[in-house]
Amino acid sequence: MNPRVILVTGSNGGLGQAIARAFLSEAPENFVWLGVRSRRDAAELVAKEFPERAQCIDLDVTQPDSWQRAVEAILARHGRIDVLVNNAGKHEDGLLATMPANAWREVIATNLDSTFHGCQAVMKSMIAQRGGRIINIASLSALLAPAGQTNYAAAKAGVVALTQSLAKEVARMNITVNAVCPGYIETEALAAMGPEERKGAQSRIPMRRFGKPGEVAAAVRFLACAEAGYITGSVLKIDGGIF
Amino acid sequence: MEDAQALKERIKAMMVENLMLQVTAAEIADDLPLFGPGGLGLDSVDALQLVVALDKTFGLKIPDPATAKVVLQSVNAMAEAVQNKTAGA
Repeated sequence: MNPRVILVTGSNGGLGQAIARAFLSEAPENFVWLGVRSRRDAAELVAKEFPERAQCIDLDVTQPDSWQRAVEAILARHGRIDVLVNNAGKHEDGLLATMPANAWREVIATNLDSTFHGCQAVMKSMIAQRGGRIINIASLSALLAPAGQTNYAAAKAGVVALTQSLAKEVARMNITVNAVCPGYIETEALAAMGPEERKGAQSRIPMRRFGKPGEVAAAVRFLACAEAGYITGSVLKIDGGIF
Repeated sequence: MEDAQALKERIKAMMVENLMLQVTAAEIADDLPLFGPGGLGLDSVDALQLVVALDKTFGLKIPDPATAKVVLQSVNAMAEAVQNKTAGA
């Protein structure tokens, strides 16, 4: 297998780390860049575990110039970037009637603007190398549009639409663009749930359990593998059967 | 400086390879319009690929859509831009 260069944004979170580990476990040649803006310590643990094959890189996904610096640094080191996983995101739930405008803007910026900037930042190098894989982490909220998540659901639905449109633009260049929509996954996002709330949520999942970060990471790794070369513009939900 | 005709042949070969054209390099006339009816029939995605390929192959940077409109008219126009860039370097 040829060595591959992978960038995973939001690597300070549980899902980002699971995705990074999935690629690091896939092949000893893979090199993973862990994009982080804050809470760098968590990502550093992964980098220390794979000292020659993983490295943290400062990346504020909402800022185009930050993307440019990060991608330039990666290209300077490897001359290519094979896989981009747009995983960074945040949610700030609340009813629209009382939602502060900042909560709208920040959630759109962190989930949707970031995906646009990321895809744009790697596009020329992927076109030049005539191939690449982009996996955007959307959410089941994009499809279910739950109450209290107008900002998050709109942002993630935007990610899905961006994915499908971009997939058509770059298909002939051997670049695939896919989205995954995780449902309830055991990450920091669920940590705030109390026991009753957890029980209630699990009762609505046909599989009666939350997903594991590794189960999302496995799907991401698959979408980036050679055998998935004909899959593009797809939206893969990973939700225990909710939808 | 590279011979003008040789440069045009290189540009045509680059186009056939990068855009996966269904014509041969020899079938592309120097002044054939790249876009629009009666031309080579390229689209905006092909244009994006051409911009990247010109940069990668010849170091020619096309910074904005207005420049692209001028440079990506034909093989002649692309060759002229590459030669001007080389002469100015």
